[in-house]
Amino acid sequence: MSAQIHGRYHGQGQPLFWLYIKTALLTMVTLGIFRFWAKTRIRKYIWSATSANEDSFEYTGTGLEKFLGFLVAIVILAIYLGIVQMVLFFAGLNIFVDPERASSTEELRQIAAFYITFFAVFPLLLFAQYRARRYKMARTRWRGIRFGMESAAWGYVWRAIGHYLVTIITLGIMLPRQTFYLEKFMADRSWYGDARLEQDGKWTDLYAGMKHVFIGLAILILSGVIGVVLQSIALAMICGIVGYVWLIIGTVYYRVYAFNYLTGHKVLDDKIGFFSEAKTGTVVTTVVVGSLIIGALSAIVLFVVGAVGAGAFAVATSGAGFGGEPDMIGIFVTSILIAVAYIGFLLGIGGLSLVLITQPIIAHLVDGIQVHGAEHLDAIQQRSADLGADAEGFADALDIGGSI
Amino acid sequence: MAEVGRYYDGETGQRLTVEVTLVETGVLRLSHPELQNGPVPGQLDWPFDQLRALPDQARDDQLIVTLVADHSDDSALIDNVRLTLVGAALIHDVRAVCPLLDKRDVARGTGFKVVTRLGMAVAAFVLMIFVILPAMANTFANLIPIEREVAYGKTIVRNMERVFGGREAGQLMCSSPKGDAALARMVARLTENTPTNYDLNIAVMNNDMVNAFAAPGGQIVIMKGLIDKAKSADEVAAVLGHEIAHVESRDPTRGALRAAGSAGLLSMVVGDFTGGGIALAMTQWVLDASYTREAETQADVYAREMLGRAGVSTAGMATFFRTLEESTKGGPDLPTYLSSHPSSGSRSDLAASFAEMQSNTTSVINEDEWKALRSICDGHSKTGKVNKGSKT
Repeated sequence: MSAQIHGRYHGQGQPLFWLYIKTALLTMVTLGIFRFWAKTRIRKYIWSATSANEDSFEYTGTGLEKFLGFLVAIVILAIYLGIVQMVLFFAGLNIFVDPERASSTEELRQIAAFYITFFAVFPLLLFAQYRARRYKMARTRWRGIRFGMESAAWGYVWRAIGHYLVTIITLGIMLPRQTFYLEKFMADRSWYGDARLEQDGKWTDLYAGMKHVFIGLAILILSGVIGVVLQSIALAMICGIVGYVWLIIGTVYYRVYAFNYLTGHKVLDDKIGFFSEAKTGTVVTTVVVGSLIIGALSAIVLFVVGAVGAGAFAVATSGAGFGGEPDMIGIFVTSILIAVAYIGFLLGIGGLSLVLITQPIIAHLVDGIQVHGAEHLDAIQQRSADLGADAEGFADALDIGGSI
Repeated sequence: MAEVGRYYDGETGQRLTVEVTLVETGVLRLSHPELQNGPVPGQLDWPFDQLRALPDQARDDQLIVTLVADHSDDSALIDNVRLTLVGAALIHDVRAVCPLLDKRDVARGTGFKVVTRLGMAVAAFVLMIFVILPAMANTFANLIPIEREVAYGKTIVRNMERVFGGREAGQLMCSSPKGDAALARMVARLTENTPTNYDLNIAVMNNDMVNAFAAPGGQIVIMKGLIDKAKSADEVAAVLGHEIAHVESRDPTRGALRAAGSAGLLSMVVGDFTGGGIALAMTQWVLDASYTREAETQADVYAREMLGRAGVSTAGMATFFRTLEESTKGGPDLPTYLSSHPSSGSRSDLAASFAEMQSNTTSVINEDEWKALRSICDGHSKTGKVNKGSKT
């Protein structure tokens, strides 16, 4: 094999769009039960569209195992969530104070009482996040060889909580440290066959990617200063908007930068290296253009459905029925039609954002990846299977990870 | 002429470009000098009916096939060998001769596994929702100190005001010296012979809904629409008695505790999908209805007895429920198990037969007081905008 191979994405919009519509409809009809199979089929499509050196990736997960894993998670979570949330709510009630006589510290406590249930679930969310990634790895193959990840979800939970706290306390200055070490924790426990992945590099290198975030923040601060010192609200507003947009794009820039850096500093089996050239401009353009198209289509559809619906209602209620009575059947039929149109509209938006935003971004990331030292891939041996105890059941029950 | 395919043995990452031929005996023959693990060195024969194609593939310019394996519901155990076929002609031929290419093999015992796990999940869920959470809510509702309950109730009433558009506390609440006095007189009459554990804090909200609410800790809100709809003060007194019953038995507190426990559970089971929000709201509704029907019946009993002890006729209760029944006639007739309250008709009948046994009853407040109560919201705007003079 050649020493350098490229990633390539072969997916197309139309088949994925219809696959999404079909599976989302089935999910709706089955009151959500089909969602495990829906997610699986979408993933199979995206994985199979991804290839390196002409060999496609394969997603071997099944809807059935996800459903079974979900049922297991339900048993555990039903007991944990039900009891813990009620106990916490009770504790919250006990620190409730009369809103008419509350001091500011007491009001803070009040807010804490409301959000306390969230903190009960938060460690579980992190747990599920790690488990979901591990499951995805275990169900991914390339050339018939499995990927895999060690079982270390609780270790991830404690580290993640620590990193989040440090990041929050330092007002985001330690974000690169969090990004780097959390990725390193997961990468260092990842395998392709019998070859271990390793995350090299230094966390401080990620500060270069933060520059646009800092510029955006500086402009925002400047807008505040202009507002206070110069008393010019118009100038402060313009400055504020510029700073806000800069900050958002800066955040995307950071994520893309971090992806490139972290990918470029991964090493497989001490011999195989990677390179990634994802571009912020492409990602931002994809999101903006995709959102504009979806927004415009939504506006047109809403306008047409609204006009037709209003017209039909007007006819039905204007006494077109017998004896000048409102035509109940007409109203009923119109309502059903509007409901169907509304659901179709929601599905359409979901499908379009998948094929106009998500898929193009995946395509861009995949197309920008190169693998060096690829001749060594031939020597990699199969690893034994990681049996998925819950197959993402926790992640689904706690509603994280989205559709893919 | 032989075609080629890319073969992976599932043991190493090595790619073998093998020769692929369709043999008339019903096998797909792979040939390559390095294929050594079959009975004949240098070649592998795969029976047509054992070939399976990978499903939901993005590319139609290639076909990836594998062999049927002892299937497991754990996909990690599915067989490893892969053969990627390229070339439209070859793909076409393979599709034509392999009958079971798109078959989904399901492991033996899968049905049993699904049923047992489903049973466990349903059992845990039902146990939590209908046994453990209500029992916990009961215990906790009795443990909360009254002053905390009052504080919580006030917050709820204020939030409710905010939902209806009140920007400040008390903005939507009606008050007039005579109206307040009439309301106080009504409460005094009701509680004279039926003492309450809570200091009742009753407010009239300027809203057209025909409804009344009891929040924890003695906080009761009557909508102006209900007073408008009532034909007599006794009808309002009946509703008030019902809400006082809820307060006294701590139903709102219990409901809040139960909701805190069950909300997370429900959203977890329903999951996040298009239309999931509607499904979730419906489930929550049915669940609430099943919880509260018993409490509502109890509150009616309490209200009848309270009115009886106060010397107020429950005929007003009967007529009010009759009016409610008639006003909802046009709408869909919900089966009892879907409705949170007992059916208005039977409630009305119970109140009417109770009234027949009463004697020496007088109206809960006199005619002048009733007039004052009816006009308690005069001079108040429905949004609190005009008299507060705020811009929006």
